[in-house]
Amino acid sequence: MRYLDLDIKTINEKLKSKEMKPVDLVNEAFERIEKTNLNCFITLNKEEAIKQALELEKKDVDNLLFGLPIAIKDNIITKDLRTTAASHILDDFIPVYDATIISKIKEKNMIIIGKTNMDEFAMGSTGETSYFGNTLNPWDNTLVPGGSSSGSAVCVAARITPFALGTDTGGSIRQPSSFCGLVGLKPTYGRVSRYGIIAFASSLDQAGPITRNVYENALLLNVISGFDENDLTSSKKEVKDFTCLIGQDISNLKIAVPNYYMSDTIDEKIRQTILDVIAMLKQNGCQVDYIDIDYLEYAIPLYQVIALGEASSNLARYDGIKYGLEINDFKNIDELYKNTRSLGFGNEVKRRIMIGSHILSGENANIYYYKALKVRQAMTNSFKKCFTKYDLIIGPTNTDVAYKLGTKQDDALKSFYDDLLTIPVNMAGLPALSLPVGFKNNLPIGMHIIGNYFEEDKIYQLASYIEKKLNLDLNIKEGK
Amino acid sequence: MKPTIGIEVHVELKSMAKVFSLSKNSFNDEENSNINVIDLGYPGTLPKLNKKVIDMALKACFALNFKINRLMHFDRKNYFYPDLPKGYQITQQDTPIGYDGYLEIADKKIYLERMHIEEDTCKSLHTTDTLLNFNRAGVPLIEIVTKPCINSSEEAVQYLEKLRETLLYLGISDVKIEEGSMRCDVNVSVSDNEKLGTKCEVKNIGSISNVGVAIDYEIKRQEELIKKGEKIVEQTRRFDDKTKTTVLMRYKETGNDYRYFPEPDIPYVYIDDNWLEQVKNDMPILTDELKNKYINLGINNNNIKTIIANKDICNFFESVILNVNPNIAANLLTGDVLSYLNKNFIKLEESKLNKDNFIKLVELLDKKVISSKQAKEVINVLLETGKDPLNIVKENKMEQISDDNIVLDIVRKVINNNLDSVKDFKEGKDRAIKYLMGQVMKESKGQINPSLANETLISELNKFDVNKL
Repeated sequence: MRYLDLDIKTINEKLKSKEMKPVDLVNEAFERIEKTNLNCFITLNKEEAIKQALELEKKDVDNLLFGLPIAIKDNIITKDLRTTAASHILDDFIPVYDATIISKIKEKNMIIIGKTNMDEFAMGSTGETSYFGNTLNPWDNTLVPGGSSSGSAVCVAARITPFALGTDTGGSIRQPSSFCGLVGLKPTYGRVSRYGIIAFASSLDQAGPITRNVYENALLLNVISGFDENDLTSSKKEVKDFTCLIGQDISNLKIAVPNYYMSDTIDEKIRQTILDVIAMLKQNGCQVDYIDIDYLEYAIPLYQVIALGEASSNLARYDGIKYGLEINDFKNIDELYKNTRSLGFGNEVKRRIMIGSHILSGENANIYYYKALKVRQAMTNSFKKCFTKYDLIIGPTNTDVAYKLGTKQDDALKSFYDDLLTIPVNMAGLPALSLPVGFKNNLPIGMHIIGNYFEEDKIYQLASYIEKKLNLDLNIKEGK
Repeated sequence: MKPTIGIEVHVELKSMAKVFSLSKNSFNDEENSNINVIDLGYPGTLPKLNKKVIDMALKACFALNFKINRLMHFDRKNYFYPDLPKGYQITQQDTPIGYDGYLEIADKKIYLERMHIEEDTCKSLHTTDTLLNFNRAGVPLIEIVTKPCINSSEEAVQYLEKLRETLLYLGISDVKIEEGSMRCDVNVSVSDNEKLGTKCEVKNIGSISNVGVAIDYEIKRQEELIKKGEKIVEQTRRFDDKTKTTVLMRYKETGNDYRYFPEPDIPYVYIDDNWLEQVKNDMPILTDELKNKYINLGINNNNIKTIIANKDICNFFESVILNVNPNIAANLLTGDVLSYLNKNFIKLEESKLNKDNFIKLVELLDKKVISSKQAKEVINVLLETGKDPLNIVKENKMEQISDDNIVLDIVRKVINNNLDSVKDFKEGKDRAIKYLMGQVMKESKGQINPSLANETLISELNKFDVNKL
């Protein structure tokens, strides 16, 4: 029984012909979970998933995603299903409502298999800051899978589910997708509702799909996109079928490569792999130019100021009073706060709350925060300028492939450098995708494709073309 | 020594829904019944924005002569307190909806620094435990801050009364200071030189008159300290209603740090010309305009004051003003109607009085069909029963006799029956006319129109031939 390795269209036909039932897919997913030992789930939804799958047998197969198993990052609120954000402070939190995107996937009758492991409150890029222990990279269990959407990426890479939802504040979908050989997209800011996403940095957070291939990625984006009256920052922009440009000619596309993305900071093998793709695109008629985009080099300090400033405020609500971790050891209200938060948050989260609070304090707000907003605007403007001449921007997703577990935990700053190339996209609110384009020492290399606002369809157009041309085998060989 | 006072007023707006969620805005319902996941600050929730609240704030901006920040945003004010579910309050720091306004009191303009929109916290109830009522969390507030331009408790009280009246007439708040829908904090400083002194803030003042009391106490306290050569330390004090004094709560911590930053969950709001125009068209008449109108109608000052101070009465008055003699209507409303309502502790809308009946009554009085003494009786019946005043008058046989012929008949009858008094009259004894008039009233059972009767009596007496006596 290898139903889950089939492509979505084939599965859909078999479901329609009743050759297979949703419960077969669900059972297979749980069998695979039991066989693997990657720690990619925090909470499994087995009973409910099987129940739902059996109920679906009475319903018509009315869409391509009908009955398909999906894994959900654990910072996305799911009604009646424990949602922890991988933190001790929420480890018994059972929500009373569904995030808007969860309602949307439920409407399509997709089946939630479980809640995936992640860096605590999405703060990290290795999966190691989780209260529930780190997730292993299925390509090599001694390596990090990337983060913060570590469990979602690993779940798809290990072919447990064909679909997963992640969130991306500075690269948290794209970086683990790159490290695990997957397609991961961060949509345009506002494309997907944030209602029910446990906030890290509100002006940067965006949920998006992690999948085995480009087409399936676009299918899932179709489901979760759209204006939501519960999220004032969500866009009223029309949602088109994001698969509409897949398979279309790409020879008229104008593509920019920022010099910054091909500098010495990037591993040579990674650069070479990207150069090979560029050569292939040129051969097929694309115009590819090297350009400069101003202010890219400020990505990390910008992130530290804006993301951590917002985070320090967003995480203030976890105070031990209304929900989450309850402690009995306090004499007054200040001790209640202090003891709850000391016990409830991990070190990385505490570090980021402290930095963020410091940055917003008194005069610092002007020195750092408001200055950062100006630089952010300037960086955004230089991206906008670039998109007046080009359709897409490409480069590597990361400076290198996945690295050993434990290497960056001792250096708080180093882990931010994983997001060197992904953060600018969040700052500008643009859509971007990571696509596997090769290997270094048998580990997948991700290519970054950045699009103009609300032009996810164009990203998929180029990505699917490259995917088809390269035709890489991204299945992990048994015994690895 | 010169006192300087600045006042911060928080006013609850009476919108249907809360400012950042769809929960009902009604604090007084059962505890924690008007709440949802947004009000509780649940993980993943985001604020909505109630446009009606902005409409109401814009009305206040117009009435208080504020300039308007056409492109405004919200900010987060971060601090920890159990009544603050998100760990921050959504407010407006950088771009208050209104700035540089003023309100005129008797002989002075009170300059207003700013007005902004924010959400209320939940209500703590301290018993053996602390209980939280989230009905109040997210109730819309506007905060109105004066410049330090008030120099006496009298000015402060006048300002607050005028502000309360204005907001009440805008229909955007109940402005009940006793119930907490209007809250005043005052900053008082005293200086014996040109520079401003060190200010002390006084909170928790439960009525406008107590604001005056608190300010006077605080001025005296600070003056005495200065005379003794002591330094005033910046602090927050609370008004104690029992002792009518102010009591130290805490010294201001150096640099209270709220870590303000723009609220990323609410996009900037642009108030365009259309929006302003719509709100402008929806503005009610305010009290200054009403006062001028009433003065022009010749209504006396006391009545004007009473009408304005009672918005229900004023609304009623406005609804009939085109159909009645306004002076008679004003007298009735500020006299008999108001005293009936006060005596019975009810609101006008709870009485049986309606517009049509009131108009009829004023007409009866205006045309002298009934006397003002009779009107008193009729209005009380009207307030109790809502009966048609014409029927009340008929049932009680109250109609005045104003028919010239009937009056003449009565007068002649009285004259013929009292020839002694007529003689006295002719001999110049003034008392005789009073006696005869009394007889006329008696004969008519008190229903004769007194001035007409008087007139007729004198003319008949003068015409009376002395020789007939």
